[in-house]
Amino acid sequence: MWLAVGQVFLFGLVTALATGLGALPFAFMREVSKRTLALAHAVASGLMLGASFGLIVEGSHYGTVQTLTGGMIGVVFILLGQQLLAGKGPAFGELRGAGARKVILILAVMTLHSFAEGVAVGVAFGGGEHLAVLITFAIAVHNVPEGLAISAVMRPKGASLAACAGWSIFSSLPQPLMAVPAFLFVDSFRALLPYGLGFAAGAMVLMVFLELLPEAYDGASRSTIGLWVSLTLGAMILFQRYL
Amino acid sequence: MPVLPTEPVLTVLLFSCFAAACSALGAVPFAFGGGPPRSVIGAAYALASGLMLGAGYLLMTTALERMTLPAVLGAGAGVAYTYWTRTYLGIEHKEAEIGVRERAELGYQTILQNTLHSAAEGIAIGVAMVMVAGDLRPGIFLALVLAVHNVGEGMTMTELLRRRGLSVGESAGLCVVTNVTQPLLAVAAFALLPTLGNLLPIALGFAAGSLVFLVLTELVPESYERASTTMVATLMSVVTATVVLLEHVLL
Repeated sequence: MWLAVGQVFLFGLVTALATGLGALPFAFMREVSKRTLALAHAVASGLMLGASFGLIVEGSHYGTVQTLTGGMIGVVFILLGQQLLAGKGPAFGELRGAGARKVILILAVMTLHSFAEGVAVGVAFGGGEHLAVLITFAIAVHNVPEGLAISAVMRPKGASLAACAGWSIFSSLPQPLMAVPAFLFVDSFRALLPYGLGFAAGAMVLMVFLELLPEAYDGASRSTIGLWVSLTLGAMILFQRYL
Repeated sequence: MPVLPTEPVLTVLLFSCFAAACSALGAVPFAFGGGPPRSVIGAAYALASGLMLGAGYLLMTTALERMTLPAVLGAGAGVAYTYWTRTYLGIEHKEAEIGVRERAELGYQTILQNTLHSAAEGIAIGVAMVMVAGDLRPGIFLALVLAVHNVGEGMTMTELLRRRGLSVGESAGLCVVTNVTQPLLAVAAFALLPTLGNLLPIALGFAAGSLVFLVLTELVPESYERASTTMVATLMSVVTATVVLLEHVLL
């Protein structure tokens, strides 16, 4: 039993570390123009939209009304969070003001959504151990674009590569932490899962439309943004389908 | 649904005509003065964005379930078609030059562009009607989604045409005319697709690609221009998430 718990935790940790890989493409980025920033936001938007659509479909398998309720709570949560941060002139490391607000919000959103994913991992493990390796691999690979989305917002605003990778991994730490209790008390957590998945999806979609896309349209033409968002959204849908 | 015509093709004609006719509704507020406030048009566009993005996701996932490569190629063609309508008509260039707020300056380009979009939208309705064999509900859903979109489009077109001196009635008529390709191509796609071999995954991909790219290049930025970001973003998020969830459960 405890061996199995250790295994669930370890596998969850591997998936969290994989998120850090998303920072790698930004290793060679030096100067950041307004246009690069816009394209990075477009990429993050497409990835996050695709990810949330996947979460919604996953949630619907556990309960439609619960997923919808969770989604609405997620939307309200981000609206409140944005209002709270708007008046404070927040700071994050070297960042100040609007840039800091965006980074704090995306980290909060991605970290919170990892709680739901951690529960999903634990519940899936509880369903049958022979699928364990497959599930871990799937979640690990799927975490890489999420690290990419976080880095795409942080790096152009001046964060170091190590900070991008570190915060990407941090955002996925709830996965091993939540996978263990979800695995141990699989029945109670299965009931909570659709709320969590819906919450994560609602928060991520609002984050895209509220913070990422408006800034994207500011820095490049509509066609360019449209091309990048549809390309990454399509890639994300394909990616989820074959994993 | 007992009220529907017994002949499926009549149902396709009925709903695609309804969608096209709804564009005339966009002219109605202009009959009572200067037209709807900017924020109302922004909200209408945000609502249409959410509905169309959700519908596009359904079309794309269905296309991929059929066959991957044709679905991807179709989506690429859909994006390319809509991209072409922007560059060919010089809209991309003019937007950069005069700024998007002066839509009236774009004049006939906007009318032509809307006509070209309607062609892709008509194909999308027809494709959605044959998507599930013997079940017209996805197509009816998409026709109703595009009806909402047409109301918003009718508002911006009437705004433009009024500034160029046309009457409300003339504007309403022209709005419907630009959308007349919707019923024509919906019926054609519905009738021809089953006879043309396995074109369905390509056609579904094309529909998804053109709708999503249209949302991203026209509807979403246009709503940001006209209404508050918080209002627009909240409306888009709630509608998109709800549509993705409900269409997955119900259709």
